[in-house]
Amino acid sequence: MLEVSSLSAGYQGKNVVEDIHVEVGAGEAVAIIGSNGAGKTTLFRALCGMLPVSAGQVRFDGANITGRPTHRVARAGLAYVPAERHLFPGMSVRENLVLGAYPGRPDPAAFELVLDLFPRLQERRRQPAGSLSGGEQQMLAVGRALMSRPRLLVLDEPTTGLAPKLATAAYQALHSLKEKGVTLLVAEQQVPLALSLADRGYVLENGRIRLGGASEDLARNPEVRRAYLGVA
Amino acid sequence: MTAEPDAPVDADAAPLGVSARPPRSLARAYWPVAATGALLALVPLWLGEERLMMRLAVDALVFGLYAVGFNVIFGSTNQLFLCVGALAGLGGYAAVILTEEAALPMAAGLVLATALATAVGGLLSWVAVRRSLGVIFTGIVTLTFSLSFANLLLGQRELTGGETGLVVSAGAGFLEDRIAAYYLFLGMLVVFLAVFRALQRSHVGWAFRALRDNELAAELAGVDVARYRVYAGLIGSAMLGITGAVYAHSNEFISPSTFAFGHVDVRVLVMLAFGGLGTLLGPVVGTVVFAVLDEILVDTGQLRTVLYGLLIIVLFLGFKRGVVPAVTDFLHLLARRARSRVGRPS
Amino acid sequence: MTAVVLDGIVLGLQFGLLGVGMTLVYGLGGVLNLAYGQAAVLAAMVVAITLGDGAPALVATAAGLLAAAAGGVVIDRTLLRPVYRLRGEHRVLLGLLLTLGVAFVVDGLLLWRYPTGALRLAIGGEAVPILGVRMRVGSLWASGISLAVGAVLWLFFRATTLGRAVRSAIQDEVGARLIGINPAAVRTFIFALSGALAGLVAVTRSMTSPVSVTAGFDFTILALIVAVVGGLGSVAGAFLAGVLLGIISTVSAFYIGQYITTIVLLAAAALTIVMRPRGLLGRQV
Repeated sequence: MLEVSSLSAGYQGKNVVEDIHVEVGAGEAVAIIGSNGAGKTTLFRALCGMLPVSAGQVRFDGANITGRPTHRVARAGLAYVPAERHLFPGMSVRENLVLGAYPGRPDPAAFELVLDLFPRLQERRRQPAGSLSGGEQQMLAVGRALMSRPRLLVLDEPTTGLAPKLATAAYQALHSLKEKGVTLLVAEQQVPLALSLADRGYVLENGRIRLGGASEDLARNPEVRRAYLGVA
Repeated sequence: MTAEPDAPVDADAAPLGVSARPPRSLARAYWPVAATGALLALVPLWLGEERLMMRLAVDALVFGLYAVGFNVIFGSTNQLFLCVGALAGLGGYAAVILTEEAALPMAAGLVLATALATAVGGLLSWVAVRRSLGVIFTGIVTLTFSLSFANLLLGQRELTGGETGLVVSAGAGFLEDRIAAYYLFLGMLVVFLAVFRALQRSHVGWAFRALRDNELAAELAGVDVARYRVYAGLIGSAMLGITGAVYAHSNEFISPSTFAFGHVDVRVLVMLAFGGLGTLLGPVVGTVVFAVLDEILVDTGQLRTVLYGLLIIVLFLGFKRGVVPAVTDFLHLLARRARSRVGRPS
Repeated sequence: MTAVVLDGIVLGLQFGLLGVGMTLVYGLGGVLNLAYGQAAVLAAMVVAITLGDGAPALVATAAGLLAAAAGGVVIDRTLLRPVYRLRGEHRVLLGLLLTLGVAFVVDGLLLWRYPTGALRLAIGGEAVPILGVRMRVGSLWASGISLAVGAVLWLFFRATTLGRAVRSAIQDEVGARLIGINPAAVRTFIFALSGALAGLVAVTRSMTSPVSVTAGFDFTILALIVAVVGGLGSVAGAFLAGVLLGIISTVSAFYIGQYITTIVLLAAAALTIVMRPRGLLGRQV
């Protein structure tokens, strides 16, 4: 469904990520793991047109979306949830969700899916998004992205700023999304969480893909264990 | 095609003005000031016979003085004072009222009027710094001051004569001679430019440049940004106040339109943008060019306003740094070429 | 006193609409449009001319609003493009200066072609007593139109997809892009809406007092004051501030005097910036 080939991108002519190859198949959950500053966010921004691509290609559903403006990538069915969430703080939870379906009218089934997944949002539906706690804001960000019934959900560090308990809960929600057949691409520093969710994973280091493979293989790989799983 | 044609990118850090480093040696630092004085001193020899032309030349010089004052405040410390006319008007009206109504000696009136404008300008600057208003809000607050002052002039009829203004009878006799007035204002211009240069070269000037380039870095380097801003506000306002006061005395009468926002501020802004914000000679170049331009456009009536507007647009769109920096760069380039040619072994 | 307050509300509703047009453009484009008042005057002149040509009032008004809206779109799509590539204060400053240039060009052209141009929509009829005060029919029409347009705007921003999209783009432009909104298109729409609002206020003003070709700068300053007091970027704030300032303005004009009133309004803006820069309602959109 998503094919990234030989992609390079960065800021002011300096590449932060280089020669990236990533593939995500329909119904799959794929993790991109790496430490702070490895280039995960840069990669995602380049995917969805928030950064110019200096080389390579992004194909989505067979169409070349390299360098398309963000709003057109979003309308093509690639929903990106950045770590900073970018909610609309002055609008109610409900309005944020309704806008997630832009430009269409909100689909009742999508509403149901989101409120099933995050019952908290139902309780808070009249509150402004800016008044929510960090965990609730993360739920709302994912919920807003789901309202468009995306073909691919791309999440950058969904556990940013969450306490360990909430981080686990967030991943439980992602697990149930995966069971419902939503295709997922997740960037994560908390490698155990990510590998428990993902079918496959890539290790991003200093802007390049160092390793790739099935999650179980990655979890067994001595280098990954040493660098990311805290095992000597 | 780039990703987002409309997405904001970090374009050049300072779209307006430059912060050139002044030369170290005393002679090289001040010769442009002396040369300006000497060149402009020749103008009356050429135009001296024509009273009307001399009158225009005097007005042009006064605008040059305003521009230097504004340059100290905005060009050096990025405080958008949209009250150049109002501060000058404060000086002008105060000087005339103090000598005519309160019967003070002219010198005392001038000093008090200048002090008043300095105090008000300093206060505005202090408030802006205290409340960390930023360029835009500083601009709006000073604009409200400008417009309030203009309304006050119209409203306080008994003191200011309202729309018709005040007749200046006690004006110093010699100032009625346009040539004398010209040399007086030219002298002031030389002094203002020297002060500007001295500021650039002083510790204060170093701080100004530092905070224009990068406010945070300046703050981290131990520059008391707030204090230097207020200093600039005080010095610039003093320049505006005394110019307004002396100008009032050199005129037969003053009226609200003499110091109106649309008349003074807009013109000063355009002159300075053309010449080069924050540069020593920017105000001088702006003064000369716009004096000539006015003379050419004198019969165009309302179309002059249109041309002014177009000029503002073109200047700020395409020519952000102004003439002086562009010429300086060009000269530096020539000098470097010449040096490299000399240095090359034959 | 009742009469003065009622007059204030009539004036204030129009102030409010004027402020909304200014505040929307700032919220969405980061531009303080100093040519805003010129849109109002442009509309007024187009209405006056088409009326003079014998067009019905409604058609003339539509033509005027259309002209002002088109002016806004043209500025947004051409002149301001380089502005949008800048950020923060540089962006506001360049936008300010360029629109100032536009203001001069429009003012100069209009004054050159129509040096004595003015719009006055005389609406006849017996004065109507309201709360014991005899209100002129023109005032009632002006208020009625302002109220209706205000209500329509409110509904538009709360209950329509496009209206919500506008609010979302003001609150978080990146977030808006992420859900598929094209902020540039929304911005162009808002420039058109803003121009039309300025034109509408010029038309309603002309029902109670003539709008002359020289009124551009005054409209701009008034809109700026209202937008600042309401909180730049806040639509509800601008409306509230407009009504408040309208009442303050007629009350002070009645008890103190006309020139003091202008100073009071200016002081309100300055005090807001110094004391509470976010304005009455902050950045609630």
